[in-house]
Amino acid sequence: MAVSTDNTFLHEDNAALIFQPLKFRGLEVKNRLFRSNLSGMFDDYNGHGGNARLNWEEKFARGGVGAIISSYTPVAVRGRILTRYAMIDNDDKIPFWRAVGERVHRHDCKFMMQLSHSGRQQDLGGVENLFRKAQSSTDKKDYFHGILCKAMTVEEIHEVVEQFAQGARRAREAGLDGVELHGANGYLITQFLSSGINDRKDDYGGSWENRARFVLEIVRAIRREVGPEFHLQMKINAVDHNDWLYPWQKKGNDLEETKKICRLLLDGGKGVDAFHISSGSTFPHPRNPPGDLPLQGLVRWYDGMLSQGTRARFNYWIFSHRPAARLFLALWRWRRGKLIEGINADYAKALREDIREIDPSVKVLCTGGFQHASAIAGAIREGACDGVTIGRPLIANNDLPRILRQTEGPVAGKACTYCNKCLLNDLENPLGCYELSRYDGASFEERYDNMMREVMSVFEPPTFH
Amino acid sequence: MDSERLTPVEEAQRRHWWIRFWVILALILAVLYWLVFENSYVVAHESERDHFLYGSIGSETASGLPTWIFKALPKLYEEELGAAGYRRFGFLYESPEAELPIGVSKRVVSGIERVWLNCSICHVGTWREAPAGERHLIVGAPANNLKLYDFIQFLRRAAVDNRFNAENLIAAINSDEVGGDLGPLDRLLYRTVIVDRVRQGLLEVRAQLAFMDRQHDWGPGRVDTFNPYKAIQFNFPMGPDAIDAVALNGSSDYPSIWQQRPREGMQLHWDGNNTSVAERNLSAALGAGVTPVTVDRPRIHRVADWLMDLPAPPFPKPEAIDATRAEQGRAIYARTCAACHGMKTGEEGDESYDYDTNRYPRLGKVVALNRIGTDRGRWASYDAGFAAAQNLLYSGYPWRFSRFRKTEGYANHPLDGIWARSPYLHNGSVPTLRDLLEPAARRPAVWLRGSDVYDFAKVGYRADGAGAAATELFRYDTTVPGNSNRGHEGRAYGTALSPAEKDALVEYMKTL
Repeated sequence: MAVSTDNTFLHEDNAALIFQPLKFRGLEVKNRLFRSNLSGMFDDYNGHGGNARLNWEEKFARGGVGAIISSYTPVAVRGRILTRYAMIDNDDKIPFWRAVGERVHRHDCKFMMQLSHSGRQQDLGGVENLFRKAQSSTDKKDYFHGILCKAMTVEEIHEVVEQFAQGARRAREAGLDGVELHGANGYLITQFLSSGINDRKDDYGGSWENRARFVLEIVRAIRREVGPEFHLQMKINAVDHNDWLYPWQKKGNDLEETKKICRLLLDGGKGVDAFHISSGSTFPHPRNPPGDLPLQGLVRWYDGMLSQGTRARFNYWIFSHRPAARLFLALWRWRRGKLIEGINADYAKALREDIREIDPSVKVLCTGGFQHASAIAGAIREGACDGVTIGRPLIANNDLPRILRQTEGPVAGKACTYCNKCLLNDLENPLGCYELSRYDGASFEERYDNMMREVMSVFEPPTFH
Repeated sequence: MDSERLTPVEEAQRRHWWIRFWVILALILAVLYWLVFENSYVVAHESERDHFLYGSIGSETASGLPTWIFKALPKLYEEELGAAGYRRFGFLYESPEAELPIGVSKRVVSGIERVWLNCSICHVGTWREAPAGERHLIVGAPANNLKLYDFIQFLRRAAVDNRFNAENLIAAINSDEVGGDLGPLDRLLYRTVIVDRVRQGLLEVRAQLAFMDRQHDWGPGRVDTFNPYKAIQFNFPMGPDAIDAVALNGSSDYPSIWQQRPREGMQLHWDGNNTSVAERNLSAALGAGVTPVTVDRPRIHRVADWLMDLPAPPFPKPEAIDATRAEQGRAIYARTCAACHGMKTGEEGDESYDYDTNRYPRLGKVVALNRIGTDRGRWASYDAGFAAAQNLLYSGYPWRFSRFRKTEGYANHPLDGIWARSPYLHNGSVPTLRDLLEPAARRPAVWLRGSDVYDFAKVGYRADGAGAAATELFRYDTTVPGNSNRGHEGRAYGTALSPAEKDALVEYMKTL
């Protein structure tokens, strides 16, 4: 079937494919739609979960996705990217996550926890980290914001490996359905994996095997804690594109290196059960989340970063001066390319073919702008992936699965515009869809009121009622 | 224990703040340095004529004098120059109030406004009808008044003159006549830097041009083009052992510089040593004081473009032309002169000069020295070794010289505007055209150069010094080396024509 994402298939065919269950080795999901990892600063400052998080995750479960990959969940406070994200750094967080799992399971929806560590990509480290340099594979600061870091010692590496393992154990004890390692988009695991970032001279740097040693140790430590049955998947960059902003930066990993790393992580059948394919060695990155950059949003909401990195002022100067900002936007769009929906599909296809040669039971998920039935079914049909993960289009339309069951996609004016306003607002405001044009209303004020109602709905029902 | 620690980012930013501070400071200083010491500023002139007369070609950077010193020298040397000032050297002022003479341009270099020479210093002539008559400028004509030898010798003397010092110069600059207003800072600069540096420059020129003391005075309207060039550009040895008396006295008349476009490809310069107008222009600019690294090519190009089609001036007194005789002369000219010099087309309503080298095969070509027979000095002053050196100038640039050649004689030039190019022959040894048509023995042997009163009958400046003060006159002695008035004679050159035919020929040449 040499057919790609076009309209040669009836919607019924597409829907049948999308709503076919997906069987992992130790987990079955009712359809091929996954809520990708989305955070939102909804929780207690010190990492205890809050009521809004329960509401937030339930929105998507109710909307009909087969599984939810949790928010970015730090395995330690030093690995936090933004404050007010629920963590999994201690057993005292288990009850909260159990509550999340229960709320989600009510809607026949699975829940995986994304185990994460920021490394040097620590946008707002919080007061706990104010006087500490971030941990990383390298001493070189993050080139985008200029966040300072220090190369981890081997002892520290072992410590963080154990934090991941304990995070996985807690997720299982909380009754969740699996865990995902956030090994993509520039966070700590990427900082080890990427040849563009990792400049270590010890056993954790240099060759791809050495760079992958850190994550392989994590995988083995997790298996030690949770056993072979518990679902474990890995989010990974197919290609780093590490030189998107400054052409003198190294390119980072290419597809061939990623293939080798993926094979390694299968660990002879004892490793990961699935891969979640993304691309781009920073967050944000023109390829992830693929879309535009709201320049006014940068001016309004990037200011909190000024104290966080040595290059933030320079960036802010660019964002707040129109001609420079337009140039930056042009660079952003150029480095992204024209394709948004299915931006990673070709990469995912190459990786999936390679992985299936060794172990067909290992599944591949793909992220990147999916919100139309033909695109999703097309990607599955042509072998790019077994399922898709969706972020922003689900923020825009929590009930996107229901829409996709009936028709090609959201009606005109309601689809996600990939404006990335949600991304910028997340730095200072509740996560939600801030694209005013999507909201009903005859005037700006009317639409704005509707938008606020929708964004604030995450706090309903309130904690005490 | 400190309770007010900085975060790592703040520490880095504080460190970076200092880096930024120094980088920005260095940038500001670099820009300031460039603006003050590297960039030069010139006065732009709207009209092409004004640009030619007063626009800079870049000579000030390497050769110039600070404007105030230039203006103060006539005051400081009032005893020597008198009230006339630079007029003593034949410099022309368009009006009594003019700040600077024609041919002197301004440029601010290293923060100091300087002046020096441009093309027009040597290429603006004058004429007048009667001794008391109005002086008319002829732009593009030979500078018949300019006494460059005297001017250079004046500066060379100043270099070793005790009166040339900061105190005297400051006093002269601040005098009412000069009108300067040097403040304490300026005076400090003059005392510590400026005057010393100017004197150093003059001393260098004095040493380089020491051979000029062995030369015969070039006289007004003449220049030794290549001997100073050898010394200044190439440090050629110029001592008595290195150069013989013939080559040492190679002075020649300034040429006219109109109508350059049709001259492209002809053998240019008196001895025809180059066929490229562009190379000849850049080389001539070196004579005005530019160097290959300080030349202002765009502004020279502006002059050159204008000269391409600058028309030759018409004879100023058409009523003094006898049409009948001129018509007779035209036939004689066509027969005798045109093959070497070209002529006007003569077609009805067409006043243009015909430079067609196909029709006039010897136009723009060199005639061997033994055939033309004119003075050897200018020819001898230009030798093959010098041509080789010239062809290295501007190395590394697309406009590097490549066409300089040693030739075997003197070149035939078009005679457009010949009335304004008196006196005649390359060394200006024959006062009028009518004299030139006589054999050398009957040409004036000793005459007075320096008057711009015009002889409309014989065509040329009066040779009797009419209307000029004795101090301005130059006794032109044709027996002095370089001054010979021989040559360009015999049947082929019209000196065997009858007097009536010669008169007719001169009449016709007024119309060229």
